[in-house]
Amino acid sequence: MSAVPTAAPEAPAVKRAKKRGTSAKPGADKGFVFPTIFMLAFLVYFLMPLGWLLIASTKSINDLFDSFGLWFADFNLFDNISETFSKDDGVFWTWLRNTLGYSFISAVGAGLICAAAGYGFAKFEFKGKNLLFWVVLGSVMVPTTALAIPTYLMFAEIGLTNNPLSVILPSLVSPFGIYLMRIYAEGAVPSDLMEAARIDGAGEFRIFWQVAFRLLAPGFVTVLLFNFVATWNNYFLPLVMLSEPRWYPLTVGLAQWNSQAAAGGGATAAFNTVIAGSMISVVPLIIAFIFLQRYWQSGLTAGSVKG
Amino acid sequence: MAAELKKPANLTLWAWTPGTAEAVQMFEKAYPNINVKVQNVGQGDPHYQKLRTVLKSGRGLPDVVHMEFQYIPSFTLTESLLDLTPYLPDDFLSDYPEWIQQQINLNGAIYGVPWDTGPLGFIYRKDLLDKAGIKTPIETWDEFAAAAEKYHRANPDSYLVNMPGGQTGQWLGLFWQNGARPFSGDPNNLRVNLTSPEIREVTEFWDKLYASGAITDDADFNDAWYQGFARGKYAGWISAAWGPIFLQSYTENSKGKWRAQALPQWEAGQTVSGNWGGSTLAVLKDSPNKAAAAELARWILQERQPVEMFSYDRFLFPPQNFMLESQEWLNQPYEFYGGQKVNQVYAEMADAVDTGWEWTPIHEFVATQGDDIKARTVDRGEGATAALQPWQDAVVNYAQQQGLTVEGQ
Amino acid sequence: MSQATATAAGPTTRRAAGRRKKKPGSHGAAGFLFTLPFMVLFLGLFIAPLLYALYLSLFREQLVGGNQFVGLDNYIDGLQDREFTRGIGRVALFLLIQVPIMLLLALVFAMILDSGKVWFPKLFRVGIFVPYAVPTVIAALMWGFLYGRDFGPFADLADAINVPPPNFLSESTMLFSIANVSTWTYTGYNMIILYAALRSIPTELYEAAAVDGAGAVRTALHVKLPLLRPALLLCAIFSVIGSFQLFAEPQIFATIAPEVIGKGYTPNLYVYNLAFSDQRLNYAAALSFLLGVVVFIVSYFVMYASRKQEER
Repeated sequence: MSAVPTAAPEAPAVKRAKKRGTSAKPGADKGFVFPTIFMLAFLVYFLMPLGWLLIASTKSINDLFDSFGLWFADFNLFDNISETFSKDDGVFWTWLRNTLGYSFISAVGAGLICAAAGYGFAKFEFKGKNLLFWVVLGSVMVPTTALAIPTYLMFAEIGLTNNPLSVILPSLVSPFGIYLMRIYAEGAVPSDLMEAARIDGAGEFRIFWQVAFRLLAPGFVTVLLFNFVATWNNYFLPLVMLSEPRWYPLTVGLAQWNSQAAAGGGATAAFNTVIAGSMISVVPLIIAFIFLQRYWQSGLTAGSVKG
Repeated sequence: MAAELKKPANLTLWAWTPGTAEAVQMFEKAYPNINVKVQNVGQGDPHYQKLRTVLKSGRGLPDVVHMEFQYIPSFTLTESLLDLTPYLPDDFLSDYPEWIQQQINLNGAIYGVPWDTGPLGFIYRKDLLDKAGIKTPIETWDEFAAAAEKYHRANPDSYLVNMPGGQTGQWLGLFWQNGARPFSGDPNNLRVNLTSPEIREVTEFWDKLYASGAITDDADFNDAWYQGFARGKYAGWISAAWGPIFLQSYTENSKGKWRAQALPQWEAGQTVSGNWGGSTLAVLKDSPNKAAAAELARWILQERQPVEMFSYDRFLFPPQNFMLESQEWLNQPYEFYGGQKVNQVYAEMADAVDTGWEWTPIHEFVATQGDDIKARTVDRGEGATAALQPWQDAVVNYAQQQGLTVEGQ
Repeated sequence: MSQATATAAGPTTRRAAGRRKKKPGSHGAAGFLFTLPFMVLFLGLFIAPLLYALYLSLFREQLVGGNQFVGLDNYIDGLQDREFTRGIGRVALFLLIQVPIMLLLALVFAMILDSGKVWFPKLFRVGIFVPYAVPTVIAALMWGFLYGRDFGPFADLADAINVPPPNFLSESTMLFSIANVSTWTYTGYNMIILYAALRSIPTELYEAAAVDGAGAVRTALHVKLPLLRPALLLCAIFSVIGSFQLFAEPQIFATIAPEVIGKGYTPNLYVYNLAFSDQRLNYAAALSFLLGVVVFIVSYFVMYASRKQEER
């Protein structure tokens, strides 16, 4: 693979597809039928629950309990959405904003930290490097949720719980990101280039920022995306850390709304807002997925998983 | 006292009941110098877990907290609650029925201002029961069992009631009605008896109905359970006083067909009930504004304006004598119940709740463990009675682990 | 762990070493500085909590009677705690069933997409990957509604054709129903990783196989699959860790089927309930530690097994 791995993923694929297309002669399309049907069957499976969510979010609470789940009843989508946003003094907005904030800061922060550390591990030699890297990689194996409670206890001691930092700081530590960036940096940043920059008198930090980082960008974006989704979807950590709804992300907030129904007593079980809220919280990520498709692979292709 | 309330103060109130913010606005109008922040940190267990968290760390403490009756001893054990006696009028307790007084008045101190209660009754679909030829109201548990069998025979897809194995609050209410007193004493001399004859009589009664298939044991308060009411799988519910209103939001299609009645009795001619749910407002001992906090709790739960708002607009079942005796409230017809004056039924039940019931200082464990064990034994067809001994053992074991002294162990 | 590094990164490093000269020891301080931000966070947010957990796990705090040093008692209790060991057993069973199915599906999808013999490849790629965008909590909520015993859509369909409705939430089926939620959520994620790996296999290798007259399936099995091993291993390790983290699904399903999901259905749920509901923080810390050790051993075993196979 060349020094600039970004271009690599798509190019050979196109070449391959064309080659096979021409060599397969008349019956070519026949070979497409079975795989397409096979994939289509699974596509139904993967999209059906989302279809249900979309349909359910258009239903009033009564229809939710009283009509067939996979088909429409009276159309109440906009009522549900406005109820979702106005419930509990519009706390849903706050949750949406928190989720975006936590995800964005964690993703960019983790991306930068991993890019720098991966670069450091890949392109430099220093004492204890291998031991450090070994320890970091080993840490992937400790479930983050097993770590969440001790972290919570520690944060509680220093008064850092119920605070956005208590969610953001642990999300910045991404051993997988380090692993990915190290391997990516090994392939993407030619040592000759660094050496040339050094001869030109550039400092190490400038070399990283102005020369290497650009080459690391695809890997950085991939780490950023994975971290963004991981933080967006994180439930356990904020559940443990936060005690006030004004700091909740969507996942914890929606689970709270859902559990209000299960506790009985005076309050109401507004399943329609839980469902509409779920729908609203899923849509931005799905749109992002569709538009950012290729970036998911860019860092992976050239990096960690190469055979 | 009055002078203290004129001073500017900032209070935080943790509660989950709808309408709280409205009541607080009324309070702020009456006390313009006191500023109250209302927060809903979760309902039930999550609420108490968060409360313990902040008590432990000492940061972000609320001043006034929603506190269900059954949790008061848990938080007095940790000495977290303020004795409100100095801040309340001398005749405060006499504003409530005796059994409610007993729930908040522990060892001579008052730890909460009652907000709502949940005396048990029975609500049912009159249309369905009539069609099955069942005479209503159902007076005794014997008649109830016969009705359940008869109803299910006539409607193979429908059941007179659903009785979840896991709903410990509901079960304790039924034990309560039958005169059981499973918990008593204090942390240094705790008595736990979850296997008493009074309790066994209740569990064995329901076990017979489980075994014959006349009732179901589905978990409650989830979507399938609401659907069960909406689609007529369940024709009735052993419900607390907050139940009638709770249900009507989800089962509009059976509007007008429901009725409420007294809880069936163990002996004909009696009127005894138990309680399931209900809550208070308590003040934390560490609140820097104790007088203002206590007044907030008292004001929104004793003044006519907020209490009427909770009772009429939010349909909370009132604990205050003045509401329970209010003719206007008692005579309010409910369309969902075919114009029946449902409040009368439950006011009668509130009057009939047995006195002398106590809770343990480890209620969360008692409840979660009870939910776990009973749900499992009932689901496996072993019945609720089979859960009693393991439940008792688990509670005693946990109490000892936590350093409590359990009598006779 | 060192094996994994070697396996996953091996070829790259080897190739890299052949191509350019590294100057060991040069600018070492700068290299260390680049890793410093991460190392600080790592120490503060990984090592420190671990040590703190270790410390806490040696004590026992009671509601009445305060805090006391109990040595390894919490660990001894943990190893004998049937609720905990059964939770681990359950997760192990889950892992044995769910991980292979999910990885096999992901692999087949990736291979089909990579073969170029499918219409609308973009649609499938996005469509299968999209569930990864759904937070587990929401995924569990959705599937919970779909699984509805009496009135879920499957039950309604079964009713319509007069067959008894499937019970997805009974004691014997619950684990599979949870496995389904995980499979639904993460198959696409694994597919993308494997697909990316396939894309980076040098084209020459395919051409060689084509010259030999190998069909698509044979190429997939004999050329592509062996080259995918590092990526598959990566996916497997992540899935193993994910399995031990099971929390949101059982927690949400507990409201639907409390008779099946108790306090300790998964180890993680158990630790959470111990810490927050039973207030046994010290014991929870000890179990967190034990859980970490178990995951470490299992992951190591997965890697060891994979390496053994490679050597064969």
